[in-house]
Amino acid sequence: MIEMHHLYKQFGSDIMALSDINLTIDRGEFIFIVGASGAGKSTLLKLLLRELQPSRGVLKIFGRDVTRFKNRDVPYLRRNIGMVFQDFRLLSDRNVFDNIAFALRVIGASKREIRKRVPLALEMVKLKDKAFKKPDELSGGEQQRVGVARALVNRPAVVIADEPTGNLDPDTSMDIMNLLSEINIRGTTVIVATHAKELVDHFQKRVVVLENGFLISDRERGVYFNAR
Amino acid sequence: MRVRSLFYFLGEAVKSIARNGWMSVASIAVVAITLFILGSFMVLNYNVALFTEDIKEQVQIVLYIDDDASEEEKAELQKQLVTHNQLEEVRFVSREEAFERLKEQLGDRSYLLEGYENEAENPLRDSYELRTAVPEDVPEVGREVENFPGVGHVDYGSGVVEPLFQFTGVVRWVGLAFMGGLAVTAIFLIAHTIRLTVYIRRKEIMIMKYVGATDWFIRWPFIFEGTILGLIGAVLPLLIIYYGYQSAVEWMQSNIIFISMIPVEEVIQELLKVLLPLGVALGILGSSISVRRFLKV
Repeated sequence: MIEMHHLYKQFGSDIMALSDINLTIDRGEFIFIVGASGAGKSTLLKLLLRELQPSRGVLKIFGRDVTRFKNRDVPYLRRNIGMVFQDFRLLSDRNVFDNIAFALRVIGASKREIRKRVPLALEMVKLKDKAFKKPDELSGGEQQRVGVARALVNRPAVVIADEPTGNLDPDTSMDIMNLLSEINIRGTTVIVATHAKELVDHFQKRVVVLENGFLISDRERGVYFNAR
Repeated sequence: MRVRSLFYFLGEAVKSIARNGWMSVASIAVVAITLFILGSFMVLNYNVALFTEDIKEQVQIVLYIDDDASEEEKAELQKQLVTHNQLEEVRFVSREEAFERLKEQLGDRSYLLEGYENEAENPLRDSYELRTAVPEDVPEVGREVENFPGVGHVDYGSGVVEPLFQFTGVVRWVGLAFMGGLAVTAIFLIAHTIRLTVYIRRKEIMIMKYVGATDWFIRWPFIFEGTILGLIGAVLPLLIIYYGYQSAVEWMQSNIIFISMIPVEEVIQELLKVLLPLGVALGILGSSISVRRFLKV
């Protein structure tokens, strides 16, 4: 589903953010991408969302070469990718239901679709009873659940989570990770960028390690790998 | 664009206008003032044009015969006028005819002439109405015929009409320059308002991008916001001019008898065709500037 061959990303004339990345992610996988800050995790995710273009190499998503994407095709790519953020990025002026519905509304979904799909997403993240609360009336963990529901509501093929537990305490982090795992079991590919060692070790999933822009390890049922 | 999206854009635009409060009011006000000035000039122009037409249709030189002129003088005068090669038309108007004409012009106010009806009381004089072949010859011929025998008084409107035209010409240019400046201000203010909206909504815009909203889906609400500001800015001066002009026409008709004015419906119809598109154009232009510069999609 996602293929990278000899992928490079360079900033300016001398900063090599990613070097010679070779990585294949299949449909239905759960994969951790780990590494210290500046290792290249964010750059990798931005390439997947086509916020950035690769400098060299091949990057195929859903079988299509992203370097050949026209700008106007990008929104349609992103409709197949659900994004979960470290800082939740909820809109504080509207309730949980509307935050989730927003993701459908802005891609032109009908009211009927919204009324059908938002409750399903809420059920998935177990927040049905909080649908009409504003984000600031929720705990951090609940807010991130809303974030996950928003990423899911459009039924994307892939969910990408960028440090989803970075702002949460360990117990809540475990909850969120369990939720992502559950989503994965239902068939969605999940990519989690993180440096939460305990979680990575606990879940025993595929782990890809980045360091200084190089992919230094890729193991099934891996643990958080620190070269130093 | 789907209908439900259209409603979404409109809703977002209206919310923004309400939220931006005074910035919206300022944008609308400047558009309104700009278009009000333009509208007023158009109204003035239409009426000056009508007035000019009226004057052109009227005789160019009126020559009043001296009450004390002898029959010989009158005959000589007629001969000189008829043979004058710059004159295209020479028409004798008796005082009775002049009286009837005045009565007709006054219409329902002809009661003003009561008591002057019989021959002896008629205050008007016999006259000639002269039309030159070339309008520019009017002053020259006017001066010349003053010295013809039996002439009491010569009236050639140029002394009044020319400065009037000169005046409206100057006013028009000053107004155009002023209006140009205001139009730029209006575009700037709308652009600034939209920029504010883009700033307030930056988080929303970011999320929209991540969940796959198309660029135009993101842009439309801002364009709509500018368009609505421009539209309201155009409707306000139309209303003001409608009611203002209506009372002006009424006042003119009851106080200044001889000036005819274009009816208010006709004027507004013309203004609608110009002011509404212009207001919308100012709005779209202003919002496009900000969407292009500050909305990175």
